Amino acid sequence: MPGTLYMLILQTLARLGPMHGYGIALHIEETSADVLTVEEGSLYPALQRMLVKGWVTAEWGQSDNNRRARFYRLTSTGRRQLSTEVSEFERVIAAIRRVLEPA
Amino acid sequence: MHTARELWRRLTFLLRRGRFDREIDEEMRFHVEMRAARNREHGAPAREAERAARRRFGNLTHLREQSRDAWGWTRLESALVDVKLGARMLARNPLFSVVATVVLALGIGANTAVFTVVHAVLIDPYPFPDSSRLMHVHARHVSGQNQGTGYAEFADWRAQTHAFDEMAIYPTTKSMTLSDDLGARMIPAGVANASLLKVLRVDPAIGRFFSADEDGPKGPRVVLLAYAMWQRRFGGARDVLGKTLTLNDGPYTIIGVLPPRFVFPGNRTCEVWVPLQDGPQFGRGQHQYAVIGRLKPGVTVEQAQADMTAIARRLEAAYPETNTGWRVNVLPLAAALAADMGKPVRVLFSAVVFVLLLATVNVGSLMLARGSSRRHEIGVRASLGASQARIMRQMLTESLMLALASAGLGVLVAVLLLRVLVAWTPPALGLEAMVALDRPVLAFTLVVSLLAGLAVGLAPAASASRLDLNRALNGGANSWSGATRRTRTLSSLVVVEVSLALVLLVGASLLVKDFATLFDTETGVHADGVLTFEVRLPPARYPTAARTNVFYDDLFARLRTIPAVEGVAAVSSLPMGGQYAGGAFQIEGRPLPADWMDMRTQYNSVSPGYFRAMGIPLLHGRDFDDRDGRGAPLTVIVNEAIARQFVTDGAVGHRIRLGRSPSAPWMTIVAVVGSVRHNGPRRVADNQVYWPFSLEAGRSPWIVVRSSGDLGALAALVRNEVRTLDRSVPVEKVMPMRQVVSDSLADTRLMASVTAAFAAFALLLATVGLYGVVAYSVSQRTREIGVRMALGASAWTVRTSVLRGAAWLAAIGVAAGLPVAFAASRLMASVLYGVSPHDTTIFAGVPVLLVAVALAAGYFPARRAARTDPLVALRYE
Repeated sequence: MPGTLYMLILQTLARLGPMHGYGIALHIEETSADVLTVEEGSLYPALQRMLVKGWVTAEWGQSDNNRRARFYRLTSTGRRQLSTEVSEFERVIAAIRRVLEPA
Repeated sequence: MHTARELWRRLTFLLRRGRFDREIDEEMRFHVEMRAARNREHGAPAREAERAARRRFGNLTHLREQSRDAWGWTRLESALVDVKLGARMLARNPLFSVVATVVLALGIGANTAVFTVVHAVLIDPYPFPDSSRLMHVHARHVSGQNQGTGYAEFADWRAQTHAFDEMAIYPTTKSMTLSDDLGARMIPAGVANASLLKVLRVDPAIGRFFSADEDGPKGPRVVLLAYAMWQRRFGGARDVLGKTLTLNDGPYTIIGVLPPRFVFPGNRTCEVWVPLQDGPQFGRGQHQYAVIGRLKPGVTVEQAQADMTAIARRLEAAYPETNTGWRVNVLPLAAALAADMGKPVRVLFSAVVFVLLLATVNVGSLMLARGSSRRHEIGVRASLGASQARIMRQMLTESLMLALASAGLGVLVAVLLLRVLVAWTPPALGLEAMVALDRPVLAFTLVVSLLAGLAVGLAPAASASRLDLNRALNGGANSWSGATRRTRTLSSLVVVEVSLALVLLVGASLLVKDFATLFDTETGVHADGVLTFEVRLPPARYPTAARTNVFYDDLFARLRTIPAVEGVAAVSSLPMGGQYAGGAFQIEGRPLPADWMDMRTQYNSVSPGYFRAMGIPLLHGRDFDDRDGRGAPLTVIVNEAIARQFVTDGAVGHRIRLGRSPSAPWMTIVAVVGSVRHNGPRRVADNQVYWPFSLEAGRSPWIVVRSSGDLGALAALVRNEVRTLDRSVPVEKVMPMRQVVSDSLADTRLMASVTAAFAAFALLLATVGLYGVVAYSVSQRTREIGVRMALGASAWTVRTSVLRGAAWLAAIGVAAGLPVAFAASRLMASVLYGVSPHDTTIFAGVPVLLVAVALAAGYFPARRAARTDPLVALRYE
């Protein structure tokens, strides 16, 4: 579903706090139990677009194994965006469910 | 608000644009390495772990591009790359770049210069508020022989009109003598009536304009300064108001300064403005003014026309003596001007459009020919993944850069060309004050350059997009089909060049021949070897006719002592000098004419020896001498046209009188002279009456001096003699009579000289184009020629075959251009007087010239072809 990737990233950052791209990918992979495996690299263009939108900010920092990594942090705009995305997503899911459930 | 912040973020991206790639690479590498480490932890061998991590990540390069795209600068960046690449390509081949830029710049510059004139004359000639509501109110007699409004009629119009807010007399210019510490000199002075500024809706820069009581014949002597004059002479000081200027030897009080751009097409740039009072006779039936009016809001031109027609009829009924047959036309001021100056300007503009087309085609074919040497480079770029659109864009960027450079250079060309254009028009047209390289003109330049750039880049871009990669990379420049196609395109471009050049050459030849014919027309005077100038005697020093005559006698005596001078005389209005005085005449013993229009004549007063000095033939009788003039019986000399009225016994001895009055004195005809085309070579001579100069010498005659010596040296001597005689007498307009005749044809001269320059440029471009395409095809056909020569073709055969090709190209171009030239010449018919628009010499000569030029252009390539060594040519295989 288009836009889902943004929602997943926003959700991940909301839950984990500031995180680098690899961490975000890992988290999405783990929580979705490998159901939602995206081409991992497409995370980065998406992150750049989110930077432009102002949903996240980026800052260089140290990773757990002491390497330099770029950490993304959710902004208040991003948080608002997350809630609209989630509610929109739920609306769509609910609609799908209504169609699929036997009457 | 949201988007503003987003824009800000995008802008700040530009600051870290440089490290963007490094950072995103680092970030992605970190990701892949972490993933590979994790794979290893899960037991994968090191190499496999790495490869799987990469696979899972995706195409790094592509993702980096996408990340960069997110910021939205990619288009601009690739455009910048195009520009950088374009600059490098243009710099790599400087000769090509310089030639292409100069050719285009000449085309663009010529267009800019001529468009400046078009803009000034046809589009925005009157720099006044709401100028489309300004009308030219034009009185003319039904006979078509006389026109202009008298002051009395103008006053009636103003009082009676319901259609116009306000009316004014269209400003005229006259010369006035300005005397100051520097001596005396003549300056152009504008003449206006009080209502002018109200019509134009402008205010003086400082002070006030004339008041109604200053219009009249005995009004106070007041003057306004032109803005430039105020700045130059008074440094823009506000306290000039109330000071006095000495004009025509009398004091004039300065009452104001006019705004900066206060110019009137058809008028010289004036230094001062004076009220009407001096010039006119205020009586009824004097037809000497043009009138402008401002329409009332909501009134149409048609309504205004009806209003003025009604007024004209009323005046006709009230004053049948003077106003019978006088009609009034109302038309927008700009249209009136366009009718006057529009034709030459349109001819020039059409010519200059052809020049630009030609320059564009020329540069386009240059680019195309160069494209062949660039096919390898383009092939490499295409094989490295550049899309066709990308390559086309690159080619267009290059040509647009070329065009913009040409635009910059073109503006310089335009500045120079404008100076020439203005210098070639007589100052009386007032072009200098009208033209300005302002914003609309520069916008035009920019648009024209961009269009030219696109056109120039189109052919090579299209040819690049058709490129066959394999051939481009392997075959080098020798791939057969591409080369033939390119030769064919180049050939058709050169055919277009030849046909454009043909049109320009035919047009220019017609105009040049027209000018030459008119110039050589029997004007009635023998202009060669005659120097003319104007003197102006200050009334205070020369209050009486006796005094002025003493001055003239002294002057003539002095001038006659100059070596090589053969004759000296004075005339009140110089033939073709732009002045005209005239009126009715009566013949003794004939009934008064029913229509006075038939009995009009030009008046002129001349001193003894004038006809000999000017080379006007004395057909019967005797010249004026001591027997004529003050106190002597009244005598006149008439021209052939008047003499024709006396078929039976000749004119000499008959008497005529001037004017319509029954009390005017009779004057005896003592001679008949040849007719002179006083109003210029284009106008047939009308009736002419001369009377003795000493009878009414006036203070501002023209002096004519015939000399067998150098006129340039004579001019200096003449000035010197006048200065020695009286320092306070200004000498003006010192010029050879040939120049006076030439100036009277200024519009034809301008069109002829400018189009001739354009045509010469066109011929040059066409020649270069022909040479280029023949040389190119010879270089492409080296092998073919080698084979032929190996098979026994002689050098002569090869040479003629190449020359035949060149001649064919020219012939096709001529055939294509002739119908266009024919159509163009028909459109030009209205500006041609001395030559038929279908002049056979020109229509036969120009094609012959072009074919000859083609043969000349083909000569060197043909010689090279004939020297082809079959062995060398075949070794290329």
